[in-house]
Amino acid sequence: MARNERTLSGLVRRKRIKETLVYIVLIIWLLINLFPIYWMFTFSLKSNTEIFGENVVGLPREWLWSNYEKALKVGNIFKYFLNSTIVAVVTIAVVMIVALMATFALTRFFWKGREKMMSFLMLGLTIPIHASIVPIYVTLSRLHLLSTYASLIIPYAAFSLAMAILICTGFMQGIPFELDEAACIDGCGAFRIFFKIIVPLMKPAVATVSIYTFLQCWNELMFANIFISDTAHKTLPVGVQALSGQYLTEWGPVGAAMVLATFPMLIFYIFFSKKIQDSFIAGAIKG
Amino acid sequence: MKKIYSSKWKIALFMAPALLLFVGILILPIFMSGYYSFFDWKGYGPKEFVELDNYVELFTSDNIGFLKAFGNACILAFISVVIQLPLALFLALLLGKGRKGERGFLSIYFIPVLISTVVIGQLWLKIYNPEYGVLNVALRSLGLEEWTRRWLGDEGTALMAAFVPTVWQYVGYHMLLLYAGIKSVPPEYREAAMIDGASEGKVNRYIVIPYIKPILKISTIFAVTGSFKSFDLIYVLTNGGPDHATEVPSTLMINMLFTRNRYGMGSTIALLLIVLCFAAALIISAIFKERGDDYGTKRKNTFGLGKKKKN
Amino acid sequence: MKKLLAALLAGVMVFSLAACGKGADDGKTDLTMWCIATESDSNRHSYEASIADFKAAHPEINFTWEAVENQAYKTKIKAAVSANEMPDIFFTWSCAFLGDFVSAGRVYCVDDVYATYKSELPEVMMGNVKYDGKYYGVPMTMNIVGMFSNMDLLKEVGYNEVPATYEELIDCCDKLVAKGIIPFGCSGKETWCVTEYLESIIEKTAGATALNEIFAGRASWNNADVVKAVGIFQEMIDKEYFDPDGIALTNDEVKANFMAGKYAFYMNGTWNCADFAKAGLDFVKVSEFPVIDSSKSQLGELIGGPSDTLAVAAGSKNAELAAKSAFELAKGICHYGYLDGCGLPAWTPDYDTSSVNALTQSVSEICANASQYVLFGDTAMSADSAAIYLDYVSKIYSSKIDGQAFVDGLVKDIK
Repeated sequence: MARNERTLSGLVRRKRIKETLVYIVLIIWLLINLFPIYWMFTFSLKSNTEIFGENVVGLPREWLWSNYEKALKVGNIFKYFLNSTIVAVVTIAVVMIVALMATFALTRFFWKGREKMMSFLMLGLTIPIHASIVPIYVTLSRLHLLSTYASLIIPYAAFSLAMAILICTGFMQGIPFELDEAACIDGCGAFRIFFKIIVPLMKPAVATVSIYTFLQCWNELMFANIFISDTAHKTLPVGVQALSGQYLTEWGPVGAAMVLATFPMLIFYIFFSKKIQDSFIAGAIKG
Repeated sequence: MKKIYSSKWKIALFMAPALLLFVGILILPIFMSGYYSFFDWKGYGPKEFVELDNYVELFTSDNIGFLKAFGNACILAFISVVIQLPLALFLALLLGKGRKGERGFLSIYFIPVLISTVVIGQLWLKIYNPEYGVLNVALRSLGLEEWTRRWLGDEGTALMAAFVPTVWQYVGYHMLLLYAGIKSVPPEYREAAMIDGASEGKVNRYIVIPYIKPILKISTIFAVTGSFKSFDLIYVLTNGGPDHATEVPSTLMINMLFTRNRYGMGSTIALLLIVLCFAAALIISAIFKERGDDYGTKRKNTFGLGKKKKN
Repeated sequence: MKKLLAALLAGVMVFSLAACGKGADDGKTDLTMWCIATESDSNRHSYEASIADFKAAHPEINFTWEAVENQAYKTKIKAAVSANEMPDIFFTWSCAFLGDFVSAGRVYCVDDVYATYKSELPEVMMGNVKYDGKYYGVPMTMNIVGMFSNMDLLKEVGYNEVPATYEELIDCCDKLVAKGIIPFGCSGKETWCVTEYLESIIEKTAGATALNEIFAGRASWNNADVVKAVGIFQEMIDKEYFDPDGIALTNDEVKANFMAGKYAFYMNGTWNCADFAKAGLDFVKVSEFPVIDSSKSQLGELIGGPSDTLAVAAGSKNAELAAKSAFELAKGICHYGYLDGCGLPAWTPDYDTSSVNALTQSVSEICANASQYVLFGDTAMSADSAAIYLDYVSKIYSSKIDGQAFVDGLVKDIK
C-alpha cells in the first residue's frame, strides 16, 4: 500500500515536472513572438543614441513622442492609413455584393451546369496573385487607372471572390428553403426574396468574409507597390517601406510608423480574436 | 416556386458581376501571360515574336539564374515542411490537449500572421543590422564576437537569414489550423484510448494525427505553394541580393518586369509559377492519398463552419 | 483579347471609385509636369524656385506638377509611355532611358525650339539627348564622379594634398591601412556605387574614347585594358582599401560614414557637394581619380555628363508651348540647382556664381579642364544591358569573378 502511494506520488510529481516543462516551452515561444513587438514599440520612442548601444532592449529612458510626430508629418502615415482603409472597405463591399449575388444564383436557382460553374469558380482558390500581374498592369495602364484606388480594389476583389463565394455557399445552404417558399406564396419574386430574406440572414457570413477579405488586402505588398506610384494613393505597407528608405539612419520615426501601422490591427484583434481566427480557419479548411 | 427560380436572365444577372471579375482578372490574364511569353517586349513599342526563346533563355541563362531562384524556393519549401510544420504541429498538440491559458497562448502565437509583412521585414532588417542589430549586439555582449555576421549581406548567411522570418511568421498560422483540427477530435476517441492506457504521445500518434490528416495536407500544400510564391519578406529584406543569393522566382519576375523592361520574360516566369503551384498541390494531394484513406473526410460538418467541401 | 479584358475591367469599374478628372475652362492653357524632386530630394528647392518664376512669368499657363520618388517614377513613366498617357513635360534620364521612349515615337523633337536657346545652352551639352541627329530633350544639370577626400585623415599619414598620381594614391592607402584607417567606403548593396569606382579606374586605364565606344556598343567589352583595370580594382579590395562592411551597406549609410570621418576617400557623384557643404564639412576636398596608364588616358577625362533632362510628350496637345516651357524651366532649375550645389550647370551661367559652395566650385574647375566625358554606364546602356552590367560589376566587388570572366560574361550576355 505504502509502496503504491509512493509510485503514485512519483507519478504525480513526474507529471507536474512534465507540465512545467511544457509551460516553459510554451512561454519561450510566447516570448519569441512578443519580443519583436515589444522591441519595435520601445525603439519607436527612443533616440538613436539609445537604440545604437546605450540601451538596446530596455524601456526608453526618455520617451520621445516626437518620433510619432515625424512619422505622421513627414511619413504621411495617417494618409496611408486612410488609403488602406478606403481600399479595404470598398473591396469588402464589392466582394460581398458580388459574392452574395453569385451564391444566390448558385444555391437557389435551378440550372444546368450549376455544379460545373461552382468548380470553375473554385479554381480561383489556387491561382496565385502573381499570375495576372503583367496583363493587369498593362490593362490598367491602358485604362489610365494606375495610381487610383480602383487599380487595387478590382484585383483584390477578384482574388478574394472565390473564397467569399465558398464561405457564403456554406451559410446560404443552411437557410431553409421553406422560407423561400413562404415568401413565394406571399407573392415575392426572386429579387425580393434575395433582398428581404436571404441577405438579412447572411450576417454571420458577412463577418467571416469581411475579415478574410480585409486581411487579404490590408497587408498586400506586390500589387500595391507596383500599381500605385503617387503618395496620394499609397497604402500602408508601401508607405512604411518608403519611409524606411527616407530614415535610414534614424530608426525612431520608422519604428513609430511601424507601430502606427500595426497597433490598430492588434487592438482590433484583442477584441475579436476568436472571430478573426475562425475566418482564417474557414478560409483554409474550405480551400 | 420552381418558376421564379428558373428564369435564365435572372441567373445571368446574378452571376454576371462575379463572372466578369473572375474571368477578367483571374482567367483571361493567364492566357494573356501565355501569349506575352512568346514575345520580346518592353511594355511599350512593338512586340517581337520569338517563339520559345524566353523559355529556353530562362532555363539556360546563368545571367537570369532562374534555376537558382527556383532552387532557393525549393529550399524554403523544404524548410517549411521539415521545420515550420512540425513546430506548428508540436505547439498545436501541446495546446490542443486542453491546458490552462491555451487560448491566450494561441492568440499570441497568431499575432505575427496579422502584422504586415513589410513591418515584419523592417523589424528583422533592424534585428540583423550588422552594427546595431539586436542579434549582433547580443552576440557581442555574450563574448561571441566571432559569431557576429553581416547576416543579410554575406552570401553565405543571407539565404537562411531571409528565410528565418518567413518561416517564423507563419508558424502561428499553421498552428491555428492544426489546433482547430485537434479540437475537433471527438473527446470519446481520446478518452477511450486513455482508458486503454495509451500515453499522451501514443494518443497523439495514433488518434489525433491520423484524424487531422486532411488539415496536415492543406497545411503542407499551403507551405509549399506559399514558398514558391514568397515575395514580400524577401523583397523587403534583400530584394534578391547580395548578388542574387536570395533570389526567388517572384523577385526575379519583378526584376525582369520593372528593372529590365522584359515583359515577355516576366510573363514567362509568372506562367511557370502558376504551373509550379498547381503541380505542387496535385503532387502533395497524391502523396497524402497514397498514404492510406484518411477517415477525417468522413466527417460531415467540420468545425461548425457551414458545409465542408471535399478536398 | 486585350480589348475584351479592357471592356471587362471597364465593366467592373461600375463598382469602384475611379479617379475623377478636373478641367478648368478659364482660357488658360493646361500644362502638367512629372519629376522626381520629392520633398526629400536635394533638387527640390531648385524645382520649386524655378516653377515659381515660371508661373509668375506665364500667367496664361495653368501649370501643375507632381513629384514621385525615383524608383517609383521609373515604373510610373514607363507605364505612362506604354499607355500614351504622358504629361506634357516629364523628367527623364538622357541616353538610353530617353532613347527607348524616342524610338517608340513618344517624344517631341525640340530642334525648332532649341534654335532660340542655342546661345545659352551649348551644343556639347546636348550630346546625350541627340538621336538620329535630332534633339529630344533639354538637359538641366550635369554631374561627374568626384573623389572626395578627408584631408584630416590624409594629414595623419603625411599627405597635406590629395595624392596627385596613382602611385601616390597607392602609397597613401597603404599608409592609411597601416594606421588602421579605412581608405575607401563603397556601398555594395547599391551596385551603381561600385561603378563610380570601377568606371573611373577603367577610364584612367583604357582611356575615355575606348570606354565610350564600349558603352555605346560600338566596341567589344573584350579589351585587355578593361581586364587590367578590373585587376587593379580587385587588388585594391584585396589590400583592404575598402571597408569590408560596405558590401552590406546602402549608399546613404556609406555616405553617412564618410561624413562622420570613417573613410579617407569616398567616390561618388558631385551632387553630394551640396550635402557636404550644408553639413559644414570643411575637411572635404574633391578631385578626379589619378591617371593609371598615361599612355592611354590623361587628367580631364571624366565620368559623368548631363543626365537629368526634361522632355516633352509627342502626344501633348500643346507640344510646342510645352517645349518652350521645358527650356525655360530647365534653365531655371539649372540656375537654382547650381547655386544650391546640386550639380554643375548645363546652361552657361549669366548670373553671379560667387555664392556657390567651394566644393562645387572646385568641381567646375575640374570640368573647365575636361577633355572628354563618359556617361555613367548604367545610364548609357539600355535597361536590360544595364542590369546585366550591374550584375557583373557586383560580382567583381564581391571578388567572385576576375577581369577576364567579367569581359567574357558581358560579351556573352549583352545582346
